[in-house]
Amino acid sequence: MINTILKPFEKHLPENNRLERIWKLAQVDFKKRYYNDYFGLVWALINPLFRMAIYYFVFSFIFSQKIENYHLYLFSALIFWMYFAESTKRGLSTLLTKRYLIENIVFNRLDLFYSLSLSVIFGLLFNLVAYVGMSLITGIYFTWSVLLLPIMLFLAYIVSVSFGLILSTLNIYFKDIMHLWDMVLLAGFWITPIFFRGEEILSRAPILLYANPMSGIIINARKVLLFGELPDWNLLLFSSVYALVLFLVGRFFFLKYSHKAVEKL
Amino acid sequence: MADDRKIVIDVENVSKTFFVRSRKVETIRQRAYNLLRARKNKQIAIKALTNINFSVYKGEFLGIVGHNGSGKSTLLKIIMGAFPADKGGNITVDGKIIRLALGMGFDNTLTARDNIYVNGTVLGLTFKQLGQKFSSILEFAELEDFVDTPLKYFSSGMRSRLAFAIAMQTEADIYLMDEFFGGVGDVGFMQKSDHIFQDRILQGRTIVHVSHQLRILKKHADRIIWLDKGMIKEIGSPDDILPRYKQEYLKEKRKRRKKVGEQLLDLEDV
Repeated sequence: MINTILKPFEKHLPENNRLERIWKLAQVDFKKRYYNDYFGLVWALINPLFRMAIYYFVFSFIFSQKIENYHLYLFSALIFWMYFAESTKRGLSTLLTKRYLIENIVFNRLDLFYSLSLSVIFGLLFNLVAYVGMSLITGIYFTWSVLLLPIMLFLAYIVSVSFGLILSTLNIYFKDIMHLWDMVLLAGFWITPIFFRGEEILSRAPILLYANPMSGIIINARKVLLFGELPDWNLLLFSSVYALVLFLVGRFFFLKYSHKAVEKL
Repeated sequence: MADDRKIVIDVENVSKTFFVRSRKVETIRQRAYNLLRARKNKQIAIKALTNINFSVYKGEFLGIVGHNGSGKSTLLKIIMGAFPADKGGNITVDGKIIRLALGMGFDNTLTARDNIYVNGTVLGLTFKQLGQKFSSILEFAELEDFVDTPLKYFSSGMRSRLAFAIAMQTEADIYLMDEFFGGVGDVGFMQKSDHIFQDRILQGRTIVHVSHQLRILKKHADRIIWLDKGMIKEIGSPDDILPRYKQEYLKEKRKRRKKVGEQLLDLEDV
């Protein structure tokens, strides 16, 4: 099933070893995670849908949050946030899970991180399909602005790769960084505009919004997906610069400090 | 050894020290605790390699022998770049390297097909090249019937054959073999490995082979390095070194057996 979906794309890859390597690692990774059968893919959908249902219940019935089409409001942000959380968590242990490769072959280890985040993006795309279905059923139709969504996807990808690089390097020296990162993700979930409006936080504590690289991406993703508006260009520029800086820092950090990976892990 | 030949691996003044602590300090919690303790948890330095110098020429078959713990595998891993040497040492490698070790290099949950593609692309082959070579890899590994079987069901012989078949088809210039043919109770593969070295299927490729199987080294190696306690004891021809190494190995073995009563690995006959 997964192979039949991914195969057609494979033909259009340029004949470039590095791209093909990243693609193959991502494909194999995705296949492994979802057991390579029809039902396996359902799991990629069930988790975010279930979360959405719970948050919807909690925030609209218990806290009586008044936002129109709240289920879409939640889901559009949730798929991005869950992408970020999963990608970074798995990035953290990538050097361990791919140890069988780095021990025996010399190649660019950055490719492991590109492919890992790519494989998680495949999951996100399935969720996007579910979102589109839900949106059409609700009666929200898309405008041309949705064509800008790949920009947000790309930014989320860069941010996730960068955190993966930094975390996996830290993981070589501090084996319990995983627990710490879990807590950061938990805090991140509550301060990212997933279930509330970003504008409220922006006026009261802008630092919370600007310090969190996912906030701007999520706000703009929601604009183009749900509201059919053009993105907030200033915020988009900020997110892009932030992502680029993170990536350069992560890459530098990884290349400088990860050489002891095989020895220490 | 003709010195005008091209040097592909140059090892200069390489040492490797591992730092071990009496108590593990690997987590933030442990590091914080260690900072607060009055009696510091001291690091113990273990010198695995000391001042190693040698060069390997293009197309050469270099054998490395030494007792367990003499630093053979560490040396291979340093050449491969899996971990860095101590400061002051320098390693220059010219060409694409692959390390072959038993039971490693594969993802057990993946099928043979996926493993071939993953390893192949990581080694630098394109899909097109892999497609062309796919059937010959399977044929050489004699695994045509198990293409879509997960590796966890493979015997160690099957794994070695697969690893070798992939490695042969790649453009790697340097093969580092770490006890690769040791422990495989697969007579067919043993004969095959003989055949591989004899017919020089790997012609023009450089081979560094760490092994307890002196038979292979005696037959095929051009030079032997004898490592002892992390230092190079001797470099020379197989005919010169191997008989003396075997003698010393047997002596050591007898001594230890007397001392601890333990049984060591049996050496193949030279």
